[in-house]
Amino acid sequence: MTRALAFEVLRYLILVTAIAVALVPILWMASMAFKPIPEWQATGAALTWIPKAPTLDNFRYIFGTNSNELIATLDRTAVKPILASFLAAGLGTVIAMTAGTSAAYGLSRFGSGSNLPLALVQLRLFPPMAVMTPVMIMWAFLNFTDTWWGLALVYGIVTLPFAFWLMKTFFDDMPKEIEEAALVEGCSRARVFWRITLPMMRAPLASAALFVFILNWSDYLIALLLTTREWVTIPVYMASLSSSMTGQLYGAKAALGLIAAVPPVVLGVLIQKHLVRGLTFGALKQ
Amino acid sequence: MSTIHLQQLVKRFGPFTALKTMDLTIADGEFVALLGPSGCGKSTTMNMIAGMERPSEGRILFDGRDMAGVPMGRRGVGFVFQNYAIFTHLTVGQNLAYGLRATRRPVDEVNRRVSAMADLLQLTTMLDRPSAGLSVNILQRVAIGRSAVMEPSIFLLDEPLSNVDAAFRTVMRTELKALQRQFRQTMVYVTHDQLEAMTMADRIAVMDHGVLQQVGTPLEIYNDPDNLFVARFIGSPGMNLLQGQPVETATGLALDLGPLGQTPPLSAPQVAALRQAKADVVYGFRPELVALVPEGQGMAMPITFVERIGARTILHLGQGSASAKVVLENDAGLQTGQILHFAPLAHAVRLFEAASGIALKGA
Repeated sequence: MTRALAFEVLRYLILVTAIAVALVPILWMASMAFKPIPEWQATGAALTWIPKAPTLDNFRYIFGTNSNELIATLDRTAVKPILASFLAAGLGTVIAMTAGTSAAYGLSRFGSGSNLPLALVQLRLFPPMAVMTPVMIMWAFLNFTDTWWGLALVYGIVTLPFAFWLMKTFFDDMPKEIEEAALVEGCSRARVFWRITLPMMRAPLASAALFVFILNWSDYLIALLLTTREWVTIPVYMASLSSSMTGQLYGAKAALGLIAAVPPVVLGVLIQKHLVRGLTFGALKQ
Repeated sequence: MSTIHLQQLVKRFGPFTALKTMDLTIADGEFVALLGPSGCGKSTTMNMIAGMERPSEGRILFDGRDMAGVPMGRRGVGFVFQNYAIFTHLTVGQNLAYGLRATRRPVDEVNRRVSAMADLLQLTTMLDRPSAGLSVNILQRVAIGRSAVMEPSIFLLDEPLSNVDAAFRTVMRTELKALQRQFRQTMVYVTHDQLEAMTMADRIAVMDHGVLQQVGTPLEIYNDPDNLFVARFIGSPGMNLLQGQPVETATGLALDLGPLGQTPPLSAPQVAALRQAKADVVYGFRPELVALVPEGQGMAMPITFVERIGARTILHLGQGSASAKVVLENDAGLQTGQILHFAPLAHAVRLFEAASGIALKGA
């Protein structure tokens, strides 16, 4: 009995520690976003867990509607970086999913051997940073630097292998009889793909797209290298939030971080049904 | 109106030959079952008829027209898969209407044919239900309906009943046969279940290891197997097969089965065939066609196991390497260890050449 109790205590202790490690930074950020300057200042004199005087000043500050005598006015607001992140991550996801899904379908249905799929996945093992210097030169030559579409193109290329591999495993799992049944009834290949395969693949498509979007959304290094001023994304903009007087603007960063967390969470909740269900071809028994 | 001719059909997958030179003619409106164990080439044959796979050699003709190069959507065949292949994102009604819509039939015709098919298969109440999550029995009905609604002149079914439950299988056997009678399609039915083949097919093509073993009506196949494989495979239990040597007896030529005793004398045509063959033979008889005889007559074998299956009793007999089965009425008062004295009925005896396995059919 006592031994069982000790075991239970230990179990919960481990669980609480693990949850704390995961949750405390997020809660800390959420709390920080609503703190007035003295409560997050680097001096830490009046450090609090929960804001004593909750305020929206941090949000007002990054959107340029409030400036504090302590910190200088920002030279730009968070509006454009948020827009840049949406455009670059969004178009990047569209590129990766379109190319990845087509390639995955082709190789899954008509490909032979595993060399090509493996080669594509190996691109994923290759750190994107290794090729960023040539990409920067090419992009500069093409006048793509500091544009959201230039960034989106790189995002699309970098996440393509990931999208490809996810979709390939999903297509491989889909029984070919379903397509053959439609083919034998007189459908063309293209119609089978659009009317049967893709609709049946809604759940996998949604989860793959979410994963790709999150990868693109949270990128910092590529955006840092390819954007300079006009189209910096949220992570790059966040890094620039500092002042000579107070150092890092933790409150403003937390407020921006909170905003940045919203799209993946909202998308995740929206497609939660698909994420949880994953692939269930209820009608099929192999 | 569709006859199917398979001419010198061969299918190889790399070094593996799945189908060795098959010739088969299926008449218009005929129900032919391709029967055989797993891996015998029956599904491969079916896939080639449907156009999903290309023959390595030989030709497939529909009504005399060569089908090489005709894509499966243009062959006018209906295909039902073992695992239903239901479009789970559509409702039952949309599934049934799928082929008609894909070929752009007028809306009122689509509705009319779908509701007629739903009536026939008792799916009317389910037309608006999403097809995901329906029971396997219903799904297979939907799959059959989705193909049948196209009224294909050739209907191909690849083990359609092997995933559904036993009770439903019995119902579907009758329904499929009724469906075929109504539409008069040429039907090819792949199965490993001889009961399905026996009850539904006009003719059965028995296959093994990529070789067509025998084609015939269910009774021909059951009564007069062409070779040892068919003899063993058809019937439940299969035919008893015992090695024997010819021996002259007072009542005529018989076979000496060693310790099992001697067989009753053979019939005149069998004697003639046996004299011609001059080889070791295998003595075959159906377990059901056996009479019990007094001790000292016929064959004697100890009972090793008594299997009571309700309607009948199956006795397993064994002596040395020889084994046989005898089917008797359900209240046969016999027990393991007893010696059974029995003789096959005269008309039930079949002889096979031991080396080649080919039946010795009397003139």
